[in-house]
Amino acid sequence: MEHLHLVMIFLFVLFLLLGTGVWVGLALFGVAFVGLELFTTRPAGDAMITTIWSSSSSWTLTALPLFIWMGEILFRTRLSEDMFKGISPWMSGLPGGLMHTNIVGCTVFAAVSGSSAATLTTVGKMSIPELRSRGYPEYLIIGTLAGAATLGLMIPPSLTLIVYGVTINESISKLFIAGILPGIVLAAMFMGYVVLWSFIRRSEVPDIGLGFSFMEKLRKSRFLIPVLLLVLVVIGSMYLGFATATEAAAFGVIGSLILAAGQGSLTRQTFIDSLLGATRTSAMIALILGGAAALSLSMGFTGLPRALAEFIDELGLSPFTLLLALMVFYIILGCFLDGISSVVLTMAIVETMVRQAGIDVIWFGIFIVVVVEMAQITPPIGFNLFVLQGMTGHDIGHIARTALPMFGIMVIMVFILIAFPELATYLPENIR
Amino acid sequence: MASEIVLIGRFLRLWLDRLYLYCGYIAATALIIILILVSLQMAARWTGEVFPGSTDYAGYFMAASTFFAFAYSLNNGSHIRVNLLLNLMGSRRRWLEIWCLTIASGLAVFWAWHAVKSTYWSFKLKDISQGLDATPIWIPQLAMAIGSVVFALAIIDNLVQMIFSGNNSIKVRSIGEEE
Repeated sequence: MEHLHLVMIFLFVLFLLLGTGVWVGLALFGVAFVGLELFTTRPAGDAMITTIWSSSSSWTLTALPLFIWMGEILFRTRLSEDMFKGISPWMSGLPGGLMHTNIVGCTVFAAVSGSSAATLTTVGKMSIPELRSRGYPEYLIIGTLAGAATLGLMIPPSLTLIVYGVTINESISKLFIAGILPGIVLAAMFMGYVVLWSFIRRSEVPDIGLGFSFMEKLRKSRFLIPVLLLVLVVIGSMYLGFATATEAAAFGVIGSLILAAGQGSLTRQTFIDSLLGATRTSAMIALILGGAAALSLSMGFTGLPRALAEFIDELGLSPFTLLLALMVFYIILGCFLDGISSVVLTMAIVETMVRQAGIDVIWFGIFIVVVVEMAQITPPIGFNLFVLQGMTGHDIGHIARTALPMFGIMVIMVFILIAFPELATYLPENIR
Repeated sequence: MASEIVLIGRFLRLWLDRLYLYCGYIAATALIIILILVSLQMAARWTGEVFPGSTDYAGYFMAASTFFAFAYSLNNGSHIRVNLLLNLMGSRRRWLEIWCLTIASGLAVFWAWHAVKSTYWSFKLKDISQGLDATPIWIPQLAMAIGSVVFALAIIDNLVQMIFSGNNSIKVRSIGEEE
């Protein structure tokens, strides 16, 4: 690398701004400015604002606020009650019993919401008190919830995948479809863990003695059926090629508005709250994306991505070693940054590297989501831990320990993804 | 004299807060318009009609929704930052906040200045969108210009408050309370 000292200054500014707490989007913008000033003679401001304008007025990006809005509407309905009532009768027969409602509930809500914090709150609001009152062990309630809520990021719609797709210019529908199977496998592994627990620690499993006939189960879950239909329409329309990701999101918003109205929970106030909430969250992400667009422009001039990709190439690393190194890197990064910021920040460098190594970028999107999901349940900065702290009052360290087995399961998931890449690539390749 | 300054201060506070809030409302309206545009486009396709430029229009409203919401989201504490060091600072947190806000003010002013400049040049050179919509590009860019200026204003506003009162109007929310 010819300008090593300039690169050092560039990276120093990056860590200084991010580390001292400058808002992520603005920090990336600032670093981009420094990079352009150091490495080119181009007028930095004009180039940056042109990039920011074209990235923030893109059609692909419109899927983002719409999917957020959909989640916000359903978040404000009676869904969390219905979720527990509707799912628990089906789970009571499984070994491990109602503990599975945590995982299945998260999986279902993940399919209507793109964020793991929202998934966690919606499911946990009902399942924590209900499971506690039935005598399930506290550590398992919290642990499974923390772990399963990360499915919110993987099962479509997923905000992280939208951001990833927008950053590297890949089809969002494809990424969404790619997340389905790995999401289900991960959920099944979490459930397998609960089953294992029920056999090993038999004494901890409370006897709930619930038996429902099939019709009873169906009647109990009748409120859940419209939600499942909505999921089917949103994901199905993308898979069958009726709709792009943005159009599917519009379906989702209209569908969830109808659903909320049908339930009687759509008031003027909840409508406005959901709209403003969606506006704020999407502005938050858009600020980061704006900064990141400027950064990737600037990064191109530093030569850093190319140099790093060539360096990795010379090392002759196998893709497997490279992926393991990236996994460790993202877990460490995730200790300090949230998922979306770490994806956006690193893709400017990692994209070149990954493409050069011949790794499928759709597959890599799923890989990166699993890896940043893990960061949601590791201290010191793990969003799910903070949310659970607010909901249960336990301290972060304790919650992180209860979630440790889930962390282990996710590491296994990464290896499964590497061993069977078809999990993520089969469906998107066969999209209609 | 002093009472007049207080009065002006209160007046400014009231109007600035309203400005941020109303910009937030404009952003929310833009989001509703995106939903309508996307729905119309789908409806048009199914009925065999064409809605030329609909994707471009949706993009413009996306930008409007984004830029107008920046200041509003800032004071709602929605923008993400790394809190680790800030929380470790304890009673000296104020100084680090001032550092962050100073840097942020500089960057936001620079951003806003170029947003205004680029919009002005689009207007001056009569730039037309490349898409089917053929919109004079300065019209949608106006949202970027206004939104960025209000955002810069909001950050400077918070910096001034931080310096003089040791407090700012950015809500501190526990992470995950909202998204």
